[in-house]
Amino acid sequence: MGDLNYVGKRILRKDGPDKVTGKALYSVDIQLRGKLVGRILRSPHAHARILNIDTRRASQVAGVKAIITAKDTLGIKHGFVETPRYPADQYPLAMDKVRFVGEEVAAVAATDMYAADEALELIDVTYEPLPAVFDPEEAMLPGAPEIHPTHPKVKEGLLNIGGKTTSGWGDVAAGFEEADYVREDRFESHLRTHGYLEPQATVANFDADGKLTVWTSSQGPFIKRAKLAKTLGLPQSAVRVKKAYVGGAFGGKIDLFSHEFCAALLSMKTCRPVEIIATREEIFTAYRHGQPLIVTIKTGVKKDGTIVAQQLKTINNSGAYRGSGVVVIFLAWGFTMAPYRNPNLKYEGYSVYTNNPIRTPQRGHGAPQLRFAVESQLDMIAEELGLDPIEIRLKNARDSGEMLPNGDNVHNCGLKDCLKDIARHTDFKEKFGCNGNGGKERFRKGIGVGVSAYFGGSLIYPNSSSVLVKMNDDGSVTLLTGAMDIGQGAETILSQIVAEELKIPMDEVQVVAADTETTPVDIGSWISGNAYVCGNAARVAAGDVREKLKELAASELEANIEDLRVRDKQVYVAGSSDRVLSYAGLVALSIQKHRGDPIIGNGHWRTMRDEPTHPSLATTKGRWTENYAFDAQTAEVEVDTETGKVRLLKAVTAHDCGFPINPLLVEGQIDGQISMALGHAFLEEIMMEEGRTLNPSWLDYRMPSIRDMAQSEHLDVITEQYRIGEPYRTKEVGEGYVSAILAAIANAIYDAVGVRLFSTPFTPEKILRGLGKIK
Amino acid sequence: MSSKHQKRLLELSINGEVYELAAGCQETLLEVLRNRLGLTGTKEGCGTGECGSCTVLLEGEPVLACLLLAVDCENKKIETIEGQSLEGRMTPVQEAFLEKGAVQCGFCTPGMVMASTALLKRNPDPTEEDVKESLEGHLCRCTGYNKIMESVLHAAKSYPEKD
Repeated sequence: MGDLNYVGKRILRKDGPDKVTGKALYSVDIQLRGKLVGRILRSPHAHARILNIDTRRASQVAGVKAIITAKDTLGIKHGFVETPRYPADQYPLAMDKVRFVGEEVAAVAATDMYAADEALELIDVTYEPLPAVFDPEEAMLPGAPEIHPTHPKVKEGLLNIGGKTTSGWGDVAAGFEEADYVREDRFESHLRTHGYLEPQATVANFDADGKLTVWTSSQGPFIKRAKLAKTLGLPQSAVRVKKAYVGGAFGGKIDLFSHEFCAALLSMKTCRPVEIIATREEIFTAYRHGQPLIVTIKTGVKKDGTIVAQQLKTINNSGAYRGSGVVVIFLAWGFTMAPYRNPNLKYEGYSVYTNNPIRTPQRGHGAPQLRFAVESQLDMIAEELGLDPIEIRLKNARDSGEMLPNGDNVHNCGLKDCLKDIARHTDFKEKFGCNGNGGKERFRKGIGVGVSAYFGGSLIYPNSSSVLVKMNDDGSVTLLTGAMDIGQGAETILSQIVAEELKIPMDEVQVVAADTETTPVDIGSWISGNAYVCGNAARVAAGDVREKLKELAASELEANIEDLRVRDKQVYVAGSSDRVLSYAGLVALSIQKHRGDPIIGNGHWRTMRDEPTHPSLATTKGRWTENYAFDAQTAEVEVDTETGKVRLLKAVTAHDCGFPINPLLVEGQIDGQISMALGHAFLEEIMMEEGRTLNPSWLDYRMPSIRDMAQSEHLDVITEQYRIGEPYRTKEVGEGYVSAILAAIANAIYDAVGVRLFSTPFTPEKILRGLGKIK
Repeated sequence: MSSKHQKRLLELSINGEVYELAAGCQETLLEVLRNRLGLTGTKEGCGTGECGSCTVLLEGEPVLACLLLAVDCENKKIETIEGQSLEGRMTPVQEAFLEKGAVQCGFCTPGMVMASTALLKRNPDPTEEDVKESLEGHLCRCTGYNKIMESVLHAAKSYPEKD
């Protein structure tokens, strides 16, 4: 239906001017009269019983307005997952026990930071320290300190099991029998963190009329409202979470955090606004980080590289509460089965409590760790069988229209094209295997490849979005969406879709977003659903407006509705451009003829609308998503054999993200993921000892700087088209591309110097050890 | 307690305007800008001089406002992000950041813009290495820096003070 004017174009961000001029207000910038400063008292122990908390001396400090402990709360638990199988397991303030260093014990609101900090020092907590355990494999064994009872459904005599996922199909034993070559390897990944630039921050304001208004740095306001209301014992109608700009999240700001609850409760106690901004040190030591996984993988293949059987076990160190640990062991199964065909698979995942801070999704949520294992092992298998890394992947890669074992259809799958394009673009076959491996030079180059597949808008939660598009009387529109722009450009792409469907200039689409009171319910900017789920909701809402405009115009112009077209905020009859009505005129007409109706479009979308519920976290049964993005990535590295240092010279991403709604934003997502993966591979590690973080600053936890920037190239494999008025399957672009590149780097290091790495990060020590230069 | 901290009257010249205020001697320039003057465009990412988000210009040179005491900034010309687009017109650096897609979450952007502006005033024709030297103390978690590099080099082309 005609050319596209807005969708598919390099449209500039709608929030860009606010952000480059410093006008954008983030949660840390919300300034209210009479605001108090809140601070949190945290446990110094990894595991201890709380015997007594005495706040009397602290409350005497001048300027202190309120102090809260668990006794001031309703004792209602919350959790990242709250299902009958996995009920909430964490109090917003520690009740009887603390289970990690940094767990929240009390909170203070005072007129300034100095008074609040002085009061924290005077809160007298009596602890009885308990034995603690930090390693998940130790925590599982009999005799380990019990942090929480093992899940009642896991009857294996293991301790501290927060949850287990079991899945599989076919006959794995028979598959291994049939295989020509079988190998088993173990891969470990390390603890990293999100590194969002804006600290965790909340401003809560409880009014005399009983209304709690909250600004909080988050990935979506509705989940925050639900969890705040529940833990505070308020009806949701008494809680309003309002939009503020968000300075990065990457999975680290999804569910309820103690500081949000404390700011709200302190505001309720004092009837004054309360602000809590976490220090960077608190974020490093006590907030939620990503998920380190231990992956054991046994794979059987035929001589030609065809995978015939795979057995996988993952162990997740979930920290002191369940967090997203039971989600990552579920997802790990999906990240295994999506890119490659595999007739026989057995999967077991364990999420294990330890006395570490809680874990939460971090961009990719297990995919980097899983793909590192699968793709590294596949290269080892290829070498053993004398196969080329590209060929063994092409041999196993899925095709369009394939059904996955859980009933998902991969629809248009560009994986093979990604592999072919990237091999051509990088001269992979010429470069691979004839680089530094075995050479004598100090600096040796290598190339490696990996692939990944990532879901878009899955049904783990009721992933739905609704959007309203209302006409204004000048013919411009206002888009109301609950979606939260966390930097990925949600407001921009939703506006592009509305602009396209209605042929209205971008600057005449005004956005009201992410406010629980004025915008429709939306799941939030996570599980990679924004472009697909919210995008389709926006498309439907704008289409609803367009059809209403056309209906009016058809009767007014005495034309068939099929003959009507829209352009430049006008409806006209195809072929006779003098028969035309402006949007503004149609709005006036609608108000006149339809009892004041100014024309409001309503759209909503849910992934897999016929599926009743999300798949089982325990058994993986049930469909998961209806669109998978695919990618192949290559890394070209240079290894210094004297120092063991590795440089990523070039990263190439060949990707099938469906249809790129805004190529400028897509490139930004890819570059950002390459940078994050580079940090994962070489620079970043949260170092812990007995549950204490040893490097709680950016000086000691080094994130990539502009000096570490890698050359990043993109190859688009477009598998979908956008057509006006039709549902489209844009896929995801925000999380999938942190994964294959990690494996590609590991494979490139092997290609360069023959050192196979079984754990992240890829430190100089590991390289030198592999080269036999140190022990 | 605030009463324990001695306050004094300060006169600060910010974006060409003179502000007179009372502040504690221990207060950083960042605290004064954000909390006392409501100039929240300058961001605090860490408060310990590690991320560059709080970069402002002092006598034209980029400095970390979280590490400077406000009392030490008297009689010096302070420029913040709020002074960059006076009368609604963006600077070439701001325009380039917008056009080249160098902005995502935007939290590092004010600091990046200030440091890039100082660089281009000092060196209107920077190399990639010059840009790296100027921005290596600025963390950005979203963009991977490629588009930031592109923006600064692009802005250099249209920088008004270029000979």
